[in-house]
Amino acid sequence: MSTMTLGGSDLDASWFLILGAILFIIGATGVLVRRNPLVILICIELMLNAVNLTLIVFSRQLQNLEGQLFALMSMTVAAAEAVVGLAILVDIFHVREVEDIDELSEMKG
Amino acid sequence: MAIAIFLIAAVMAVAGAIGVVAFQQPIRSVLSLVVVMLALSILFLLLSAQFVFVVQIIVYAGAVMVLFLFVIALFGPARELAKTQLRFQSWLAGVFVFVLLVLIWTMLQGIQYRQPERADLGVFGTVQSIAVGLFTTYLYPFELTSILLLVAAIGAIYLSRKKIDEPEGGPVDGLRSATGTGGEPPPSFKT
Repeated sequence: MSTMTLGGSDLDASWFLILGAILFIIGATGVLVRRNPLVILICIELMLNAVNLTLIVFSRQLQNLEGQLFALMSMTVAAAEAVVGLAILVDIFHVREVEDIDELSEMKG
Repeated sequence: MAIAIFLIAAVMAVAGAIGVVAFQQPIRSVLSLVVVMLALSILFLLLSAQFVFVVQIIVYAGAVMVLFLFVIALFGPARELAKTQLRFQSWLAGVFVFVLLVLIWTMLQGIQYRQPERADLGVFGTVQSIAVGLFTTYLYPFELTSILLLVAAIGAIYLSRKKIDEPEGGPVDGLRSATGTGGEPPPSFKT
């Protein structure tokens, strides 16, 4: 039903989907557990990559190119997010050293 | 053959992802993420997404990761202190991750796979077919993406500019003491 013929052998689409889910969950764990703001950004990139994998798997399974186009768009958005996030971090690091993301809590009211 | 490639790439990806979360130094996390991205690019090639494979290597493993490495090189390796963790953070994160895993698992069980549309797999995912999609049906989203990139570039330049008009700040103080045009004179000059 959901098998795909890749390179001469049959693979099930759900294997790729499970791999994407595992990567996404590991990234979410990193966002929750890690304290360094830089590492949190890296884990967000990991989650975005897992979602890209899912998009491309569905694109291949349905043999519809729009999933790949959407993956390209999401890569662009991820690059823009990384640039702006790193610029904000650099701006904060100029003022003071931040080892813990919880130190940046001046705006919590 | 394809199953072996999938298994190797999947093991690489999961190991790299665990490394991203587990390593204490940010530079090792970044290098682990490069491993994850290379493994994912192999999977993209397996799924006949050639153009996305190339873009993944150039944009992600090339540009974005170099950006992270530059920031780490600028500000030095900051070790993470274990004592700054919240009290129940590990437990709460474990519970949340378990709930997320169960949710995604049940959603994966409920997927209704449609019949494929029988595209021509000889040209599926090539640069030509991607370009036909990007420049005809999805022309407006493509152009909006360029505006997004422009906004991100301007925002990054604005955020990381030198603040000349502010009289106080770390770099300005450092400059002043280095050139000796202000502040206390050295102690040897007092006698």
